[in-house]
Amino acid sequence: MLLTLHKREEALGRGAPVVYLCALALSLCVCALMLALAGKPALGGLAVLFRGAFGQTHALLDALLKAIPIFLCSLGVALSFRMQIWNIGAEGQFALGAVGATWAALTFGGQPAVVLMPLMLLSALILGALWGLIPAWLRLRLGVNEIISSLMLNYVGILVLEYLVFGAWKDPLSFGFPMSPEFPPAAQLSRIWPGVLGKLHWGLLACPLAGVAYSVFLNRTRLGFELAACGEGERVARYARLPYGFLVLLVMGLGGALAGLAGSIETSATLGRLQPTLMVGYGYTAIVVAWLARLKPWPIAFTAFLLAALRVGVEAMQLELQIPAAFGQIMEGAILLCVLAGQFFLTYSVSLKRARPAAPKASPQPEEAQA
Amino acid sequence: MRNSLDLHDPDIGPVDVLPLVRLAGVTKRFGHVVANDCISLSIMPGRIKALLGENGAGKSTLMAMLAGRFMPDEGHIEVAGKRMAFSSSRQAIAAGIGMVYQHFMLVEDMSVAENVLLGQEGGFVLDPKAMRATVAELAARFGLAIDPAARVGDLSMGERQRVEILKLLHRKSHVLIFDEPTAVLTPGETEALFEALRNMSAQGKAIVFISHKLEEVLSVADEIAVLRKGRIEGEFLASEVSSPADLARRMVGRDVLLTVEREPVEPGPLVLSVRNLSMQGAGGALLDDVSFDLRQGEVLGVLGVGGNGQQQLVETVCGLIRPESGQLDLLGHNWDKFYEHHDWDGALAWVPEDRSGLATCRALDLTDNLLLTTREGFSRGIWLDRARARKAAQEIVLAHNVQPGRIDLQAWQLSGGNLQKFVLGREMRRHPRLLVAEQPTQGLDIAATEAVWQLLLKARQSTGVLLVTGDLTEALLLSDRILVLYRGRVMGLFPASDKAQVERIGSMMAGLS
Repeated sequence: MLLTLHKREEALGRGAPVVYLCALALSLCVCALMLALAGKPALGGLAVLFRGAFGQTHALLDALLKAIPIFLCSLGVALSFRMQIWNIGAEGQFALGAVGATWAALTFGGQPAVVLMPLMLLSALILGALWGLIPAWLRLRLGVNEIISSLMLNYVGILVLEYLVFGAWKDPLSFGFPMSPEFPPAAQLSRIWPGVLGKLHWGLLACPLAGVAYSVFLNRTRLGFELAACGEGERVARYARLPYGFLVLLVMGLGGALAGLAGSIETSATLGRLQPTLMVGYGYTAIVVAWLARLKPWPIAFTAFLLAALRVGVEAMQLELQIPAAFGQIMEGAILLCVLAGQFFLTYSVSLKRARPAAPKASPQPEEAQA
Repeated sequence: MRNSLDLHDPDIGPVDVLPLVRLAGVTKRFGHVVANDCISLSIMPGRIKALLGENGAGKSTLMAMLAGRFMPDEGHIEVAGKRMAFSSSRQAIAAGIGMVYQHFMLVEDMSVAENVLLGQEGGFVLDPKAMRATVAELAARFGLAIDPAARVGDLSMGERQRVEILKLLHRKSHVLIFDEPTAVLTPGETEALFEALRNMSAQGKAIVFISHKLEEVLSVADEIAVLRKGRIEGEFLASEVSSPADLARRMVGRDVLLTVEREPVEPGPLVLSVRNLSMQGAGGALLDDVSFDLRQGEVLGVLGVGGNGQQQLVETVCGLIRPESGQLDLLGHNWDKFYEHHDWDGALAWVPEDRSGLATCRALDLTDNLLLTTREGFSRGIWLDRARARKAAQEIVLAHNVQPGRIDLQAWQLSGGNLQKFVLGREMRRHPRLLVAEQPTQGLDIAATEAVWQLLLKARQSTGVLLVTGDLTEALLLSDRILVLYRGRVMGLFPASDKAQVERIGSMMAGLS
């Protein structure tokens, strides 16, 4: 028997959700296998995961809370992925956004919220954007691969954050812990409805705003169209006289600004100060989300929530089954690989054929016999 | 067995020797395109067979089938009289058929001897000295000068090619196929390669040499098969070829199958003026002192065998390459000024050779592909009016009968002919005064070809058309004047009605003035 592949002439319509569900199921099987290998109850572990993630209201609210930075970072990287620019640097841009917000909060601490909040936001957006523009500039000027440079800048960004909280911005009252002083109340985003919605804060509002802006930008503006057209390659861009270099700068700048926005919301709303525990890998999860959602805004929102819930569920597994935190990353990886592999079947169909031996054949082959 | 096709043309090769490889009525289709159409060829031991043809003529597909990369849709391959069906290149190699690709497949960090014997070591323990001796002996036998101990990464392209050849020889290949082997070589290395080819064929190997360069084919081949549009156009002994011009004409086609109505159009103002345009490449001049004018209302056919400077000329005219030396004026402005204030409408339109991947984006639908070059016409400020663009795309689809008539299809879902009609329709919406059309009917079926020709002739009423083509029929049918390019030089520039000059086009294309 021989497996043969054919490119589909028509896009897969109703079969596509089936493909995704199968991929998801397969990734769960992989995870169960991993649990079994680690000597933990496989099915029981997954049950804990699901109960931990979706079983209680506070877990769902926690997932929603975690989905905010993931969603914003994911929109940012999706923008650059649209034109095949691979911005892996959301994590670093997120860190710089947090640094920017902290700088404004500490410098203009006496100002009222209406002045202070915009200042924090602005400096976060600017620093995040600048951090994204570095790999863009390196790529355009020196031909440096942006995957490598943006990835490496993540570590630099985190080190910048740590340098500040271990040094210049260290809180004198922190007993030696690396953290900035707590922000003045005017610099802290308040909660929406503390009694009912838990820790959920007004930063949530940024998500629909950013999502709508993303959608409108891509579908209704000329630049958005030019971006998608550039995704087909630099050669097409040159043919159609698209402003390729400008667009690279634009997507990397905007992507950095979105990640910076996420960073400022995270520092201001959930921690109320800058500290290294802020960096939990939202910027990397965002890349997985963007891919799984195929760069579309609604699926990005949905997937960001799912992967955030996964994080919450894994926390429950850690508590109940003493499973290492890295299991969350393994799950993320398994889902990503299975879905990406599954997407192969959206473009190709597979069929079984009788193998044809290479040895000389005396008898004519079946098709030829009919001819 | 199927009814046998008569392959033994008595004129070709010694009849008493059995062919090493025989292709019998081999056909290969990709979608609607027939890449190889019922091709029959015999490859004889001790002979060098050249496969001559333009880009897209089907040479590489044919050889890929021999090398086991594709299976023929119809027909079959015989090796030493036995019918074979290769489903992988491994099987082809086992049957003694080896191919030297344009891109070498070597491990740069390994020595020549290690590369040659890679996967053929025959045991767990390696003996570098014996390996080097084996390779040195093999190289000496076939006259391939190489140091078996040298690191491949340090070698020149010509030397790397020798390593590839040695790999095949070591695997006891009887048939060696070379795909455009001289493309990466310097003239000196080319001569050395030809010497090695003669040497190998003298020792009984069958050589297949794929090329579109006439002079090379004539200097090295014993037999020449001309491939055009997927068919064998003719097969000759090299000694019988009296005029290279004839070979060139066969390569680009001389048969006028179709006619189109041409109404005379009064020439208008000058739209393109090229003066002494030259461009240097690594291997010599790519464009050499090219000068010509083009007026509105006229089609200028730029004719030549592929790779003789057409690409550089088009990319310069269309703004991708800034002219190095010489003067290029578009619509009365010099190149810099024209491209500084490039206007999408009423200026220049370009229908490139690569219609899916350059002229269109494969994964965008027809509306977006319309917007690709006309987006300025559908935008107000920063906004894009997609609804209006959809209507315009629908108009193009209707006006030019673009099948299957749906604008929500992505470009890759259209056949080449329909996509080309759409591209032409789109470019004409830009009201160009200068239209550059590059190989506009390559790979199209007859109906689509005719439609494209009609469109181009209609376009000429309002524009000057620079038609770059390798197809003589097309050039003669459409052009008012013809310019022949050879190695970046203008070999001739004359009215298409000049019978005497038209007769000489073949020799001009072959570089014989």
